[in-house]
This record gives sequence, structure tokens and C-alpha cells, in this order.
Amino acid sequence: MPKLKRFSSAASSPSDRRLAYLFLAPAIAVLLSLSIYPLIYSLTVSLQVESPTGGRWSLGNFQRLLSDNFFLSAMEHTFIYAACALICEFMLGLALALLLNHEIRGRGVFRAALLVPMMLPAVVVGVVWRLMLNPNFGAINGTLKGFGFNTEALTWTASPRLALLSVIVVDIWQWTPFVFLVLLAGLQAIPQEPYEAAKIDGSSQWQTFRYVTLPLLKPAILIALLLRTMDLLRVFDQIFILTEGGPGFATETISLYIYRAAFRFFDFGYAAAMSFVLLAITNVISVVYIRFLQTREAS
Amino acid sequence: MPVLFFAAIMKTNALHRSLVTTLVVSLVLSVSCQRSTSSTKELTLAINSGVEGDALKQAARDYEAQTGVHINIAEFPYANLFEKELIDLNSRTGAYDLIMLDDPWFPRFAAKQFLTDLAPLLQKKGVPVADADFVQASLALCKHPYETGALYALPYVGNSQLFFYRKDLFEKHQLKEPATWDDVLAAAKTIQDKESAGANKMYGYVMRAAQGNAAVADFMPIFWAFGAEMFDASGKPTVNSAEGIAALKFMLELGKYSPPGYASFNADEVGAHLLQGTAAMSINWPAWITSFSDAGKSKVIGKMAFTTLPAAKRSGQAEIGNWLIAIPREAKNADAAIDFLLWATTANEMKRSALRGNPPTRKSVFTDPELVARFPSYPAQMRSLETSRPRPRTPQWNEIENAFGIFLSKANSGELSAEDALNQANAEIEKILQRGQ
Repeated sequence: MPKLKRFSSAASSPSDRRLAYLFLAPAIAVLLSLSIYPLIYSLTVSLQVESPTGGRWSLGNFQRLLSDNFFLSAMEHTFIYAACALICEFMLGLALALLLNHEIRGRGVFRAALLVPMMLPAVVVGVVWRLMLNPNFGAINGTLKGFGFNTEALTWTASPRLALLSVIVVDIWQWTPFVFLVLLAGLQAIPQEPYEAAKIDGSSQWQTFRYVTLPLLKPAILIALLLRTMDLLRVFDQIFILTEGGPGFATETISLYIYRAAFRFFDFGYAAAMSFVLLAITNVISVVYIRFLQTREAS
Repeated sequence: MPVLFFAAIMKTNALHRSLVTTLVVSLVLSVSCQRSTSSTKELTLAINSGVEGDALKQAARDYEAQTGVHINIAEFPYANLFEKELIDLNSRTGAYDLIMLDDPWFPRFAAKQFLTDLAPLLQKKGVPVADADFVQASLALCKHPYETGALYALPYVGNSQLFFYRKDLFEKHQLKEPATWDDVLAAAKTIQDKESAGANKMYGYVMRAAQGNAAVADFMPIFWAFGAEMFDASGKPTVNSAEGIAALKFMLELGKYSPPGYASFNADEVGAHLLQGTAAMSINWPAWITSFSDAGKSKVIGKMAFTTLPAAKRSGQAEIGNWLIAIPREAKNADAAIDFLLWATTANEMKRSALRGNPPTRKSVFTDPELVARFPSYPAQMRSLETSRPRPRTPQWNEIENAFGIFLSKANSGELSAEDALNQANAEIEKILQRGQ
């Protein structure tokens, strides 16, 4: 008994406290070396500009962002991509979750089948869609041709107008299942009582959905949207495989541009500066709509 | 922190103590093991995974068997090789004794003084520095500054672009081998009009205009032939000169005879169209030549011909794309490395490399009767290589090529006019150059 007590209180003697630190040391060491140190190091890198005499301290990398057309255009693509994909994935995911929350025949099969895209590695998805979208040999144009459509102008990833749409569609295809899964879990966690009460009060189906389901589903919606937003803003792999940012610059997102700056041009300072801007934007957006959803819940 | 850590452990029982002892002993042992291996004769090579690297890998195995020098191979895909090498060179770890590099990377490596000057090493071995058997254009790439400076590498694979065309279709429609870009355009039109039948479309030409390297590589021979230059004598970018704009307009005209979507094509798509027999001409690299006689892939066996690039205002010039081998300045075994480098680039070894699919950089190998019988395109390849031009020799080439390629791709996908694309490209290139100063 006395032994147990010794461990339960925070620190009863100096040697115990030392032992506690000792046990914590590996975790702290890992955190420091793998997260904190690289973060600080990359900040110092972003604040240095290469010059013939070596590195020198400067805000040059951050100033350059504002006059860099490629950066601004990549940011624009990232936001269009994230917004379109997020809205579609949420709508489709919610519809599917509501549909498969009912007792319908073959529900298990549908649920399992819907999750397949999400389990594929992004690189595989990229390669498969790249082949399907190929204007000359691809399955999509081949099928359309079979139905008698003229596919000459449908060059998908090669057309500046269609390329961004194509990569967004691929993202929706792959990640709607994730939104669906989270929302379905949310739906199943809602107890039956509020529905029974609503029924007794004579509310319509729409009213039940609007005033019972949605408010109770809010935490799940919040998590799904938050995770998808963070993922969408840093999208890299599918686009890299599908278009490598092209044609021209039409599908270049910020992550691709950061990669290029770092590993093709070896300008780590500039790449780090862009990464910090992306980090800041992601944080702000996340906080903003967590607040937004919280206040709506409170009202 | 470590002191506290050990003190805390030492205070506990004997089991812990023995554990710590074991740890320390094994650590010391592993360190001493590393020491002992580095003193034996061994070399580490960084190579490209692909046909070029494979030949060198096999050569390394032969060398190992002949001399007993142990050779470690670090093999990377093309895109990663550059970053791995630059990281090693930048941090001066000396992980590699020899590196294979694509020639556009060379100015960057040499300008930063990352490579070993070969002249003193060659003198020590009693080998002349300027081996006259190497194709001049290839050897010039290995010097910094270009052509005139000190020798920092030796050329191993002698690639340069070639003009590919379907000789059966040219004969059928009584067309001559294209000597000028106007001939190319006329032939593309004739073949596309006469060979397309309903759904089976035949394209007169196929090019790749995906942003980056692809678009630039396919544009440069037209750009140069039209009399344009990327930089003027003072180093200012001039891609939007009248000649440059005329060249891009011509490229867009030729694009009308290229399969739709070519603004996102890379080498694979161009190769597929040629192999499937759905396009009649293209600029391409010699590495594709052997695949045309592969019955499993090719529908055009015996129908392809290869020649030097067409002319316009100026005579046609191909872009050179050689693989070089260099010794990093921090290499641990420079002496053993130069022995291997000299051996691997002898005429005898280069012939073996040629038989493994790599174009040589030595004239005596290009004209070797056995090889010419086996590779009938060798005379054309040698002519193309001898008259080829390098991409502009600047340490910022990667960035410039990226920006230039984006605007070329935009013009080819119809997003920008030729004038707008080149004006914007010129402005971006100027910005890149200013940053470098």
C-alpha cells in the first residue's frame, strides 16, 4: 500500500521526481528531436537568404511571396480545389450516410464497397485515373466514344479548362467515402428518443432532419470537415501523378510548388517560407470554422 | 541530461548495470566496425536507375571481378538522383566516390566547387587530359566554364536528340527526308490528310509539351533553328525576340497535326503514339530506337528512320543530353575512383556499354563496324551529337527551364498566345536571374 501511494502522488521525494523525469525523457526527446527542433530549424531556414558569401538573415523569402505570380496562382488553385472538393464530398458523403443509415437490402455490401477508394494509396489512384483519363487510350473517352459521342475536345488533364475539374473529381471519388464513414458513425450514435419525440410532436421529415439530425450530427460534421480541409490544403500525391501541375500551371497547388522550390531548385529558405504561410492559413481556417460551428450550436 | 540518465540507472540494481554495459559495448563495437571497413579498397557509386545506370552497374561488377575492388551501388530514380547528390555534395559527407550526373546539372555542381578537378589526377596516372577520341561536344560539357575551363567529369552516355520519321509513309507519298521545318510541316499535313480514315486517325507529328523539361526539350531545336537565343551577349534573357515568337508560332502550327492533349504529353505518350503507328514524326532521344524493333511493343517494325534535326534560318541543332561521371570533391577514395572512371570510359568498355543500349561518347566506338551493323542509326546519331548544342550553361537552369516550360505549355494548351507566353516567360526568367545575383 505505501508503495502505491508513492507513485500516485505527483512527487513525494526528489529521487521519485527524478525517476518521473527519467520515464518521461524518451517521449520528450522524441518530441523535441522530431517535431520541435525541425520546426524551429525550418523557421530559421525561412529567414535566411542565400548569397554568394553564404546565408544571411532577411525577410526576403516572405517578401518574395507577394510578388511571385507562381505562388499566388498556386494558392488560388489550392483554394478552388479545396472548396469545390470539400463541398461535393460533404454533400455526397452526407447523402450516402443518410441513405445507408436505413435498413436497406445489401447495406453491408454497399458500405464495404464504398470504402474501397479510400483504402487505395493516393499514388495508385493517381495512376489508375491517369490511364482512365487518357484522351486517346483511356476508358472514359473509350466508353463515351462507344455511345457515339465526339471525344475529340475532351482531353481532360491536358486541357487548361478541364484539368482542375478532373483532379477535383478524382479527389471527390477517393475521399467522399471518408466523409461518409465519419457521418455514418455520427448518425449511428444519435439515440432514438429525440426522433420519437419529434414524431409525437408531428414534425415533418424535413423538420426532423433540420432540427434533430443536423444539430446532433454537428460534432461528426465538424470532425469530417476539419480533417478534409487540412488534407485538401496540402494535397500533393494524386495531382503530382495525374498532371504534375500542368498543363502549364493549371493544376499546380501550393504543395507541389513547395516541393519544386525545395527539391528541384534547392531553395529551401523559400520553400520553408511558403510552408509557414500554408501552415498559418490552415490554422486560421480551422479555427474560424470551429468557432462558427460552435456559435451556431450555442444559438 | 545523459549524465542524469546514467546516474539514475547506475543507482539501481546489478541487472541494469549489466544491461548498460552491454549497450555501451555494442555501441563501441559498431563504431569500430565502421572504421575497419572504410580502410579496405572500396568505392561507392551513385547512379541513375534506368538503361544508362544499368550499363554502369554491370561494368562495375566486371571491374570488381577483375580488380577485387569492392563497389557499392546507390541507385536512384532520375528525379531523386539530383536531390541525393546535391544533398551529399552540399553537406560534404563524401558518401559517394563517383556520381553519375545529367549534363544540365553540371554547371550547378561545378560552380559550387563540389567536384574534383581531374587534371592533377590524370597527370599522376600519366594520361593526357584532352582525349581526342571523345566527341568534342560531349567533352565540352565536362568543363567549367563550358568548353574552356578545367575538366571535372568524363562523358559516359552520348545522347542527343534525333528526328524520327516513318520512312514507309514518306516513300508512299513521295516525300523526301525532311531537311527543313517547312518540309516537316508540309509532310505532316500530307500524311495526316491522306492517312486518316474515319475513326482511325493518323497524326502528322507528335510532340510533348508538358510543362518543364518536356516542352523545353521539344521546343529548343525549333527555337535555335529559327535563329532565336535564350540570352544575349550580356546574359539578359531574350526568349521573346521576334525569332523566338516566330519559333513558338511555328510550334503551335505544328501542334495542329499533333494528337489532342499533347500539351500534357511526356516522353511516354510520344513513344506510345510512335509505337502504335498513330503518328508519323517526332523529335526524340536515341534510347527509344531499340523499342521500335521489339515485336511485343511495336507496330512499326522496320518502318522508322532517324536523321538529324531539320533546319530553318539556321542549320538544325539537337539538344545534347549526356550522362557524365564525376568525382565529388569530398570523395574518400579519389585515387581508386579515377582508376575506375578511366577504365569505364575506355573505348573497349564503352563498346560494351553501347551493346547494353547506351550511345557512346567516343568517335571510335560510333564508327566501330560491328556496332554500326547492329545500330544502323549510329552515323546519324554521331552527326547529331557532333553538331548538338547544350542547354544554356547556368547554375539556375532547373528554375529557368521550369518557368520557360510552364509558359510553353500554356501556349500549346491554348491558354496564352505565343507573344504573351514568351513575354511572360522572359519576365520570369529575368526575375530568376536577378535573384541569383
